[in-house]
Amino acid sequence: MRLVLAAVLFACLPVAACTRREPAPELQLFAWSEYVPDEVVDGFTTETGIRVNRETFASNEEMLAKLLSGATHYDVVQPSDYTAEALAREGRLRPIDWSKVPGLRNLAPEFLHLPHDPDQKYTLPWMGGTVGIVVNAERVSPETVRSYADVFRGEHRGRIAVVDDPREIVSWALATEGLPINRIDASSLARVEPLLRAWLPQVRVFDSDSPKTALLDGDVDLGIVWSGEGALLLDEDPKFRWVQPAAGAHRFVDTLAIPVDAPNPEAAHRFLAYVLRPEVSARISAAYPYTNPNLAARRLLSAKQLANPASYPPQEAKLEFFRDIGAAAVLVDRAIARLKAGL
Amino acid sequence: MLPAAGVGPGVTRRPGVAARLLILPLVAWAGAFVVLPTAILVVYAFGRRGTLGGVEPGFGLDAWSRVLDPTVRVVLARSLAWAALATVACLVLAWPVAWTIARAHPRRRTLLLALVVVPFWTSFLIRTYAWVTILKGEGLLNGALLAAGIVAAPIEMLYTPGAVLVGLVHTFLPFAILPLYAAIEALDPALFEAAADLGAGPVRTLREVVLPLTRPGIEAAALLIFVPALGLYAVNDILGGGRVDMIGNLIADQFKGAARDWPFGAALSVTLLLAFALAWRLAGRGRSLAAGLDR
Repeated sequence: MRLVLAAVLFACLPVAACTRREPAPELQLFAWSEYVPDEVVDGFTTETGIRVNRETFASNEEMLAKLLSGATHYDVVQPSDYTAEALAREGRLRPIDWSKVPGLRNLAPEFLHLPHDPDQKYTLPWMGGTVGIVVNAERVSPETVRSYADVFRGEHRGRIAVVDDPREIVSWALATEGLPINRIDASSLARVEPLLRAWLPQVRVFDSDSPKTALLDGDVDLGIVWSGEGALLLDEDPKFRWVQPAAGAHRFVDTLAIPVDAPNPEAAHRFLAYVLRPEVSARISAAYPYTNPNLAARRLLSAKQLANPASYPPQEAKLEFFRDIGAAAVLVDRAIARLKAGL
Repeated sequence: MLPAAGVGPGVTRRPGVAARLLILPLVAWAGAFVVLPTAILVVYAFGRRGTLGGVEPGFGLDAWSRVLDPTVRVVLARSLAWAALATVACLVLAWPVAWTIARAHPRRRTLLLALVVVPFWTSFLIRTYAWVTILKGEGLLNGALLAAGIVAAPIEMLYTPGAVLVGLVHTFLPFAILPLYAAIEALDPALFEAAADLGAGPVRTLREVVLPLTRPGIEAAALLIFVPALGLYAVNDILGGGRVDMIGNLIADQFKGAARDWPFGAALSVTLLLAFALAWRLAGRGRSLAAGLDR
């Protein structure tokens, strides 16, 4: 009897699915995990009636792999600067129709016409950020830490957390040696190898997803982390201090872009326009305190939010973008893997 | 299963049409989910690295020259050692548990088995992160030790090799308990009495009766743990702090990391597959050799 009932229910399933389907517009959003607040997605749906299907990724490369596989066609993706540059160069992005996305003039000029999108044709800046040093002032005097070399001077061995990113780690060593961080080849890698050999064994935790955790849990005293993570630590407890690395640091901009094969570019443009609105953008800043490029949104932020030195580093800070280094990425990866293996 | 009438041992009968049809889904499944992906892997391993990831058409051996890199050797050796250590630790811990369950009253047995299986209902990642909460500097275990006055300062437990081992054993213990339970449960208790009657003490009974008879269970458990433990890298990242790479890290980095070197990642995966196949062959040969010597 139960079997018959199950069979009947099963037979009804496709019918029910068909009758309930309505041509509701949808938006396929492919974004970083922990970067687009739920309330922003829900607010967009409430206002426009467009349902948002969200997928998340944890690295640019993960996003590229899925995007290029073509298994799903996305309407909006969230590449970082150098990845957006590579996608645009390969003809994978659709030019944004700025007449449908008002409010671009609200963005700070230092976020527009950057090397990855000189004509501002393909990308809308989402948030900016840097990499810097967080010090637990209860364990380490912040005055004694000014640079990467100070972090790794030996006395903090086993009390350091860093982002798990070979390019990032190599760039700290290059900056410390006074070498350009975007010219990477076998000889520049050979020059920084002694530094890296001394630094890597001192690290207790390599974590790109949530480098703040080890600091919060008291497992390490120093961290070299993304500025948004640093800003959250500073908000959490005043014992955490932000140090802008003296040798310079990597600056990045994460963007929104529309793939060339987006099924619903109309909805994509509406989403871009929505997140550009000052009150929406301010809500993103409240959840993920990176550097908000939207000056109109910044006016809605509290004095405390704006005073967070991790979110809004001083103008004189020495910051530089990463450029696509092509096949040299393999050399970087290989060098760090070899040193981690103890060779 | 019903014994087929008229088909005794040594008598072969050609499978009928019905049997062939019945086996068809299995063949299709294996083709779609085993043969095809493996074939793609092999093709990728001989391809050329694409600019945005992926593989560009063409033939290249770069990936294979990197497989011979000393880094790969060190990482592979370390992964093998860790997987072996986790396997042995699981077997040693699981054996008494399986024995107790198998010898428990049937009603109790069901409950005990349920307790072994219930953790599977939670995601493996969540269970691993639970260990972070327990082992971290300001975590549950350090809090308890400090409160009890056993230690004066928190002990560094998280982000150590010991934490990785705890995580691996926790993940794979049920995979050892269940096959061992099945093997021990099938033993006839009369055998122990017989061993005792013939003058064997408990240790000798264990060594010469119980262990040989439960050997298939032990081998199944070892295989079920060793193979996935070799490729698993999440435990190493979460509980070990990602300080050393396992072979799984090295492979995943080629697809999810900035190097975007899919051919190398594929070549590493093929290497791992070949290593498994070789180990399987050798184990099989060892077994038949041992069986031959016994006779």
